[in-house]
Amino acid sequence: MAWSAAGLALGLIFGATAQAATPEVPGADQIVTRTLPNGMKLVVWPDKDIPNVAMYTWYRVGSRNERPGITGISHFFEHMMFNGTKTRAPGEFDRVMEGNGGRNNAYTSSDVTVYQNWFPSSVTGLIFDLESDRMRNLDFNAEKVESERGVVYSERRSSVDNDNFGTLIEQMQASAYVAHPYQIPVIGWPSDIEGWKVTDLQDYYRQYYAPNNAVMFIVGDVEPEEAFKLADQYLASIPAQPAPPAVTTKEPPQLGERRLRIERDAQTPLIAMAWHTGAAAEREARVMEVLLSILGDGDSSRLYQRLVEKEQAAVDVGTQFDAGFDPGLAWVYAVVPPGGDVTRTEKLIDEEIARLAQDGPTPVEITKARNQALVGFWHGLETISGKAQALGQYEVFHGDYRKLFDAPAEYESITAEDVKIAAATVLRRENRTVGVLESKVEPTAQAREGAK
Amino acid sequence: MRAHLLSLLLMPVAAALAAGDVKLPAYQSATLPNGAVVALVEKRDTPLVSMNVTVRGGGLGDPVGKDGTASLYTDLIQKGAGNRTAAQFAEAIENVGGALSASAGTESFGVNASFMSRDVDLMLELVADALQRPRLDASEFEKARTLAVQSIVAAKDSDPRALMSSYGDAWLFRGHPYGRAVGGSEASLAAVKLDDIKRYYAEQVGGDRMIITVVGDFDSVTMLQQLERAFGTWRKAGAPVPTAPTPANVTGRPVLLVDKPDATQTYFWLGNVGASRTDPARTAQSVVNTVFGGRFTSMLNTELRVKSGLTYGASSSFNRGSQPGSFRIGSYTETSKTIQAIDMTLDTLARLHKDGLGADQLKSSQSYMLGQFPPSIETNGQIAARLADMLFYGLGPEDVNEYAQRVMKVDAAAVRSTIEQSFPQPDNLAIVLIGDAAKIRDAVKKYGPVTEMKLTDPRFAPVTK
Repeated sequence: MAWSAAGLALGLIFGATAQAATPEVPGADQIVTRTLPNGMKLVVWPDKDIPNVAMYTWYRVGSRNERPGITGISHFFEHMMFNGTKTRAPGEFDRVMEGNGGRNNAYTSSDVTVYQNWFPSSVTGLIFDLESDRMRNLDFNAEKVESERGVVYSERRSSVDNDNFGTLIEQMQASAYVAHPYQIPVIGWPSDIEGWKVTDLQDYYRQYYAPNNAVMFIVGDVEPEEAFKLADQYLASIPAQPAPPAVTTKEPPQLGERRLRIERDAQTPLIAMAWHTGAAAEREARVMEVLLSILGDGDSSRLYQRLVEKEQAAVDVGTQFDAGFDPGLAWVYAVVPPGGDVTRTEKLIDEEIARLAQDGPTPVEITKARNQALVGFWHGLETISGKAQALGQYEVFHGDYRKLFDAPAEYESITAEDVKIAAATVLRRENRTVGVLESKVEPTAQAREGAK
Repeated sequence: MRAHLLSLLLMPVAAALAAGDVKLPAYQSATLPNGAVVALVEKRDTPLVSMNVTVRGGGLGDPVGKDGTASLYTDLIQKGAGNRTAAQFAEAIENVGGALSASAGTESFGVNASFMSRDVDLMLELVADALQRPRLDASEFEKARTLAVQSIVAAKDSDPRALMSSYGDAWLFRGHPYGRAVGGSEASLAAVKLDDIKRYYAEQVGGDRMIITVVGDFDSVTMLQQLERAFGTWRKAGAPVPTAPTPANVTGRPVLLVDKPDATQTYFWLGNVGASRTDPARTAQSVVNTVFGGRFTSMLNTELRVKSGLTYGASSSFNRGSQPGSFRIGSYTETSKTIQAIDMTLDTLARLHKDGLGADQLKSSQSYMLGQFPPSIETNGQIAARLADMLFYGLGPEDVNEYAQRVMKVDAAAVRSTIEQSFPQPDNLAIVLIGDAAKIRDAVKKYGPVTEMKLTDPRFAPVTK
């Protein structure tokens, strides 16, 4: 495919200039790693700014590992990780953690499932105990499985069914991929939410929740040697499992534009476009981030200036890049004003993309994108949880947490020509899916009156 | 410049030792000649600087019937200021990777900026221009107003959770300024004229209303001189600071049903007048609320989510201002489970009043509050906002530095009296429901008198007859 060939070629340019702007990050030289005999890797970044610790455990499993019949199970599994082990009753994990000053959450994406604990450093040992217990002893209480089904269904109703944008994105993702499991929504299709079984969960646990499929990041008020001692005590004896089956399906090249239309009550129609592009670790991903930022990040971006400021053809515009293990999607979307003409909004987006592909970005825009990336890098390192997230992102998706510190230099290496080529080769009509969500009927008289 | 007018105070620092026992970093404070209050913290772990300017007044200064005036004013000061057009202003911020935003709250508006420390001069210039030299251009005003209206319409097409507090506060605080929509409604924004913005700027904005906090990688002595040059001689606001009267509690259970015909879920909000930011019982209220609806294992979330699977989340919180704001309970459930979920919520509130908190619950709540406090003042932006909040409400550094002691001091007697005084009884609640009215209209009558409106109505409250 033309665009992935471009990505490869760009990779060669990158190697030469990457070292130039690597910033000095205070404390980064204190980061220590260890891999336990069972294959579980730990990365510890001591940081005594506050007397707290952020512990993030990343499992390499997400909806990408699912199939029809069990869609949404990765996310459902995330919920079940809080619902009881052979040694602790359902709810005990949260009660013990919160009662000792800790808080937790978790998220699931197409690629990974991440468990986050934030706690005072005085209870670090207890949190190791809790985290290792659910990695070793998870139980699947049949009653909890049923009530948690309802919780997930409610989550789906809020984020997809009662949210127009959520509805549109889910349908577009399912259409943009015909082969690769990125077509599966993380929350799962309703019939699968109703249908998954305890045995599905048990299989999933054995296959994916093994220490050799996990990496743990511990950032904050903790000594690495203390953390490793606790890891030896609580985690080292959890048996390794055979490596989970690899996801081998590759999305075939798209052969022409796909279009879909959702009819749903909407005073403000929506339009979104999604193009196939590279995986997180590919250089093309970085180029696309820069391209999308020039196109749609902030009030000075091209799409905002043209669609919102000059033409009033959008209430809001934005971009999104799904950076994962496998080639993801680059998104552009616009919220169309009440009574607005979706076709006109689409035409204006097309014009801006054509202009970028034709002339490339200005030097000022390239500098802006680099500066924004640099500031984003530093903001990510402002908190212990930000550090744990950033380390995880680079260790898991780029193969080495140390690549985090090369990121500003990588952005520095991206040129106007790179962006111009990507605009021409990736943002092609044949490579995209276009989705429109609008009502069957015109907005109500009252809404029009209010909008004057 | 008149540096001698400035008083520099160095506050003591203490190391963070036990859980939750954090102290504010050393900060320097000063008052500028026009009355503006300044607080500065040097923090050098990242090459970033955050700035928070809080100006007293906010939506309380909106003309009657023109809710959203302050909010439109804050939109407009980012659309051209000093020698820059709207586009040039946005470029100046974003070209260096900076961020600058202005937004209105009920009792103040704020300008927040975050820049690389190398760009701090530019940051000060842009903030000073936005505040003191806004262009208030007529065509930009029309665009900003249209966009504000359209954004409300767009929000109504999105996840209703984001709208619950707009409807809830409007219903609870009917006739009180806390019930006004700070961002305006589709109807009220239509009434705002550019002259209203100009009058707002003259009367409600000025140096004497300003609190400036800056946190990050800079030198305090230089920064103070720069702030005095940039803001120290700015004029005062033309009018006195507007204030809100003490709101009256709701008695009974007035129900507002907002019809969203395609909804598959009912979103509910139950509230009454709660407590102010400076309420002496505020820590005890938070200790109780943590157990009732402030964390994952709270009573509400345990009943509605963990035990019954009715919802993805149920919570409660105090929204505090100079006057008591709302205490609200919120959740959502599948349309057919509406009554079951609301009944369960009311039962849980009744149980709080009947049983209070056990000794283990009190201890668990205290541990949780201490453990989760330090990450709330970790970043430059968080510290800048916290300092501004303290200065706005006339609180000293003890608000942070003695937090741990205040939490640990809450005992069983304080818990009992707080539940009695600050948490509404289940039969006194303003109730708002967003959902499919045809399916729940009859059933919800059992809670109290029902008033109905449509989600598409251009207001957040029914028109009063």
